[in-house]
Order: sequence, then C-alpha cells, then structure tokens
Amino acid sequence: MPSDHTYAELLDLNAWIRKNSDAFHWQCTARTVQESKLFPVNPYIAMSYLNAWYRYPSLFRTLEQTMTAEELGDRAREVSSASGIIQNGIIPQFYLGGRQILIDMGMLRPTDALDDVAYVLDFTKRLNLSYHRHHAHILPSDAGHRAQVLPERVVQVFHADAFGVKPGDRLHTAAGRFLAQLSQYAFLSHCECRLGINNSGPYKIGESGEMLVRDVVDLAEGDYPWLDGVAAEVAFNNYTMPVILKDTHFSIVDDWASFEATPSYSHDNVTAIGLYTSDYLSDGYVPVAMDNPATLADFLEHEREVLAKATSDLWNVMAGWTREQLVDSGLLVYYAVPKDLFHIAGIYDQSDWMLVEDRAQRFKPLMNDEYGRDLIAELVGYISLTSQQGNDYTMSKHSGAPGDMWSTIPYSVLADDEFTRGVGPIRSGSTSLPAKSSTWTTTEGRLTLDDANRRAAALRPLPAQEPYRFLDDRWIKDHPGDERAEELYRHTQRRSRLLAGKGAGLSGADIEVLRA
Amino acid sequence: MSSDAHALTEKWAKKAMTPTVEAFHSRIRARVAERLAASGKSWEEAVADPDLELTVDDFTAVEQEFLDTGYRFEMSAQISLEEAPEKYRAPSGIQDTGTAQTDEDGNRIVGTGANVFRVPADVVGTARLVSTVDVVLDMLTNGVPDDTIAIIDDSGGTLTAPILQSFTGVVCMGGTVRSHLGILTREYGVPCLMDARLDGLHDGDRIKVEYTKPPVDVYATENDPSARARIVKLEGTSDAE
Repeated sequence: MPSDHTYAELLDLNAWIRKNSDAFHWQCTARTVQESKLFPVNPYIAMSYLNAWYRYPSLFRTLEQTMTAEELGDRAREVSSASGIIQNGIIPQFYLGGRQILIDMGMLRPTDALDDVAYVLDFTKRLNLSYHRHHAHILPSDAGHRAQVLPERVVQVFHADAFGVKPGDRLHTAAGRFLAQLSQYAFLSHCECRLGINNSGPYKIGESGEMLVRDVVDLAEGDYPWLDGVAAEVAFNNYTMPVILKDTHFSIVDDWASFEATPSYSHDNVTAIGLYTSDYLSDGYVPVAMDNPATLADFLEHEREVLAKATSDLWNVMAGWTREQLVDSGLLVYYAVPKDLFHIAGIYDQSDWMLVEDRAQRFKPLMNDEYGRDLIAELVGYISLTSQQGNDYTMSKHSGAPGDMWSTIPYSVLADDEFTRGVGPIRSGSTSLPAKSSTWTTTEGRLTLDDANRRAAALRPLPAQEPYRFLDDRWIKDHPGDERAEELYRHTQRRSRLLAGKGAGLSGADIEVLRA
Repeated sequence: MSSDAHALTEKWAKKAMTPTVEAFHSRIRARVAERLAASGKSWEEAVADPDLELTVDDFTAVEQEFLDTGYRFEMSAQISLEEAPEKYRAPSGIQDTGTAQTDEDGNRIVGTGANVFRVPADVVGTARLVSTVDVVLDMLTNGVPDDTIAIIDDSGGTLTAPILQSFTGVVCMGGTVRSHLGILTREYGVPCLMDARLDGLHDGDRIKVEYTKPPVDVYATENDPSARARIVKLEGTSDAE
C-alpha cells in the first residue's frame, strides 16, 4: 500500500536529510573524532543516537500538543539556553545517526518508521527555520558559517551596555579568567562534549569591531543530576557574555556554535564586555552585576572561584564513577539536546530525558572503546559503512566520497513498496546514575520542577505574542515610528542601563554616542 | 515483499573499514536474517514484532564471538581497561626508535607538534606524563610540581580539568588545535602543542618546547612538517629515576 506522504513532502524531507548529512560531515571532520581518558566518549555518542531514535518521535508529538515547533523556535531565540544553535541544529543529526546505525546493522530499512522519520525531520526543520528566522537561513553553514540569530533590539542592548576594557584593567583580566574557568567547567559538566558552549554572531560594531555573543549553559543545579550539590553555589544556570573585539574578524561561527577568527581570538583584543543570564522563565536577558565595571569585576572574580571549586568537586565525583555511569552521563547529555524545548513549553519531565530506554540499553555489550571510536569515525567521518555507499559515480558534497552520511527515504514508498510507520511508544528505561534530588536553578530562583513547569506554562513573553511575534527587522525598517515597534523595543530595553525607554529609533552610531 | 537477508544482497556494498565494526555488524546482520527467515513473517511484520527483537543476550554473544577469535580492543578511557582488562590490549607507551635527529644546538629532537598559539619565548620545563586519574588526583592533592610540561595522550578537556591552569606547558599526543584541550589551553593562556608525535621522550626529561612557532593554520599549514613546533631534550638533565 502506498504511503500517504506526498511526493513533494518526500522531496523536501530528502533534501533536509542530505543537508544534514553534508553539514554534519563538515563539522565532524573539522572538529575531529573526540577522545578522553576519563569518559568513553564515542561509546556514549553511539548510545545517545540509539536512545534518540527510539524516543524522539513520541516526545516531539507530545510537545507539539502544547507548543508548536515554530513558537518554540521563536521563544528560544529570545534567550540563551540549552535550545541554542548547536542543540536545535543537532537534534536531527542524532536521530538520523540512530537510524543509520540500525540500517547498517540490518535491523532497519530506510523504508521503516516512515511516519516517525517524516515527523521528526519536519519538526526539526520548522524549529530551526523559526530559530534562525532573523538571518533567514536554516543553519549557520547556509550563511557561510555565520550565525546572526538576534534582532537589532537585542544586539543594541548588548552593544550599549558593554563596559569598555583594555588589557591590564581589572575587569579585562577578570573576564578572561572567568571565561577560561567557565569553558573548563562546561566541558566537565557536559561530560567532555561542547554542548554547554554556544556562540552566535558576529555582529558588526562600528568600522572595525565585531561582537561575538558567548553563551555557556546548564551550569547550576538543574537537569543534570550529577550537578546536585557540587554546583549548589553556582549563581546562574546560563551565562551570556557579549564580547566586542577590535581588529578581529570572526570568519566562522558554525553549526556547532564554535567560532574561528582572523587573526586568532586573543583576549588582548577584547574592548568591551557585558554579562547576562536568561532562561525559559526570564522573558529576555537579565543583566548580571552590570551596575558598573567594579561590580561586574567583583562578580566575575567571585564566580570564577565558585566555578573552580565546582570543577574540582565534580571531577572528584566523576573520577569515582563506574564505566557505565561515565557512559550514561555522556549519552544523556547528548540525547537530551531537545530538553529545554520542553522547559519552554512547561512540560519538562526528568524521566523523559535522564533515562536510557531498554531498546537502547541492550546495545551496551557492544560498546567497547574501539567499536565506539571506529563506528563513529566510519559513520560521520569516513562515510565508509556499507549502508552509506552510493553508486560508483557518486561524489558527496565535501569529501567526494561515493556515499552520504544519512540514507534518504526511497521514493518507492509512494508506489507499491512496503514500509513501516514507527517505532511505537516509549518503553521503560533506566540509568546507573543517582536520581535527581535538588531544585532547579532558574532566573526566578531555585524552584521545584512542578513550580518551574507551572511558571513556564503561564509565561507569555511579549515578543512571542501576536502582533509583536511577527514584527521582524524587515517590518521595523518600514515602520520606525510605529507604536508597536516602540513597545517591542522598550520591552527588550527595560533592563538596560543605557537604553531603558529609548525605543526603536536608535542606530548603531547613536549607541556609540550614548556609550561615549 | 520478500524475506531476503537484508544488506547481504545490497548493491554498492562494501566492507567496513575497521575490524570491530565489520565483525559486529556482519554478525548482527546474520542474526537478523536468521531470525527473520525462521519466523516466516514479512519484514514489515517482523520489524514490529517485539518477540523477534534482538536482545542484550544477542549483543553479548556478538562481542564474545569476536573476542573468542583472540581479538582484543584498543582502549581509550582508562576505566575501560580497569574494569575489563581481559577485553583490552595494554596501551603502548611513547616510542623510542633511537633514530631521533638533533637540533642546531645538538639537542635531541624528541617530538614535534601543532602549536595552538604563539608565546614570546620558548618554554623550558620538566616533562611529566599525565594520563591517568591517579596522576591527576595526586597533583590535585599535592600540587602540580613547578615547571611541569604535561605530556597528555588525551585531547579532551576533562581528565586534567582541575589542574590544567597550573601547567607551565602542555604537549598533547592527539587531537588538533581545535580539540577541546586546544580550546581550553588557549583560554587559560597555557602554551600547548597538539597532535604531538614523540620519539624518545621519557617522564622526567628536561625539555624545551618551541611555543614561539606560529600557530598552525588548519586550512593551510596543518600538514606542513616545517610548520610543526619542535620539542628537544636538554641532555644531561632528567628527573627520571
């Protein structure tokens, strides 16, 4: 019986699958296969793909009963959380990774779980289109590795309120040390992966400056149970540090929210910084200790000490873990990349994100270090698995290899080929890790999960409400004096030191005058 | 649809590049095909039938069959070898071929690597192997010895997380300048070589590392041998016992 999907739908889905293949291949080969003496990284990556395959379809269908992918993208764009560039973009990659492993094992055919595959891919496409609405690309790689996700009204606040610094200043020094410690802690809290670190931009500042917005997320007591206790003193779950640099061009801000600069990023070239926090409850960015440069330096110096202690304490915990605990923690960080979408919708459930389903658990006996390493290397690097091979004339986008990372859906399902619809409902799961016991650290304080979900469900951020939701920068251009534009800008500016109440009429040059 | 053995008859097929993937996946395909044939069901019926699913016992058997051939896995994480030494090969140490060349001052060149960022002067220090949790724990407890140039066989950022900033320099035997360790050393301002190839370096050797070399450009000079920074052993000066 032919599928009820249309030809146009499958054409679009297969193009999205192929875009994901090409984009992920560039990222994976640029960043190399990751390794660690502490964490069995590649085994946990492979396990995360399998967990995603079995669980994402049901979870996303439930999510969209509360909030659509498009609205989730709109909400996520207004804050810095674990629903950023890398997380939103990588959801389909992990899901397709699970599918490809199972196809290569002969446990699945590309015609299987057709409705699930179509739905998950469509969901992720709509999510990313919405999240990246401002620059109207679906991934940073489509923009030549540039990620200008923020509208003018947000960038203006970051620009205006950033404190000027120069090498040798107390604040300049404190910011550099804070960023180093923050990065170190984020790699550890995320079990060796980069999912805690997001960068967006760059944004042009004057003639020779560029701003990079540096986000580091999921730092405090929250979703990851291993942060209970050790992260009790970490003040905020998410930090955003806009940094303005002179004489530096950010040539790459990629699909994993990593950056490269020409010349190389040097803290000596940082001329201004700010610090903010935000999350699914904050309705925009909240300045942190931004009263004056001294208060910010005080905070950064203190918080660096807090993070240094949390790093040592957490390392001591992790150094005592079993191999299974090290695998479970990493695989859950990877698998849980969509989790903040559920926070935004107010339906986050710890059992949805911190358990390994039985259908994935059964693969653990295979996951020795060498198999994990070689499977991931072949799957996303060499494109050398038999299931990935195309005909002899095929040359894939970046490598010219005769194959592609993710298998497309055969069009034969539109004719007389058989297919299956899905993987069925979520089954029971388990974890070797201790259960979550603490509260959740949010911008509204430390909350129980029920309270956090209730507040999130009740939140109606102005920029996500109609008519403001659809007042983008192109509309602003033609309506600079419109009261709706003024209201939208004043809302974003309401916590700004220099721009509060200034409205929609300012240019970049006006901001420079205000900063002088 | 037929109940053919999937993937065994596909066009444009090829073997996996690596022995473990080929061994595991070919064995799993065979089990799927056997189970499908024995069931008498179509693929669509079988793939949705929980009673026909491969179980943890199947995957345990797949691994055991491969181990029974005498194959032993390469380890990556230290814990893997500790918990299942019967499954893994012991890691090989730093090679010493005895063929290392000397620099213009007559010092033995014991390695080269990709410089992460440039510093004003080359760095002299004591090479100390940092590749286990126990070594890190000792340094965390008792302090990192002065002038330590950490020799690390792990391009990740977690093993050395609590002590990284205390190193005088880092030489990493893996990864690239864009690996997590490269990113972190740049943030901390700790001089670092990535992708180091070592020959004749021993724990405790007094070494000088050419951190003044321009940073490697991954798009231009990554594969250029002349762009690699050198590590030389300062002869007659070793803390090795």
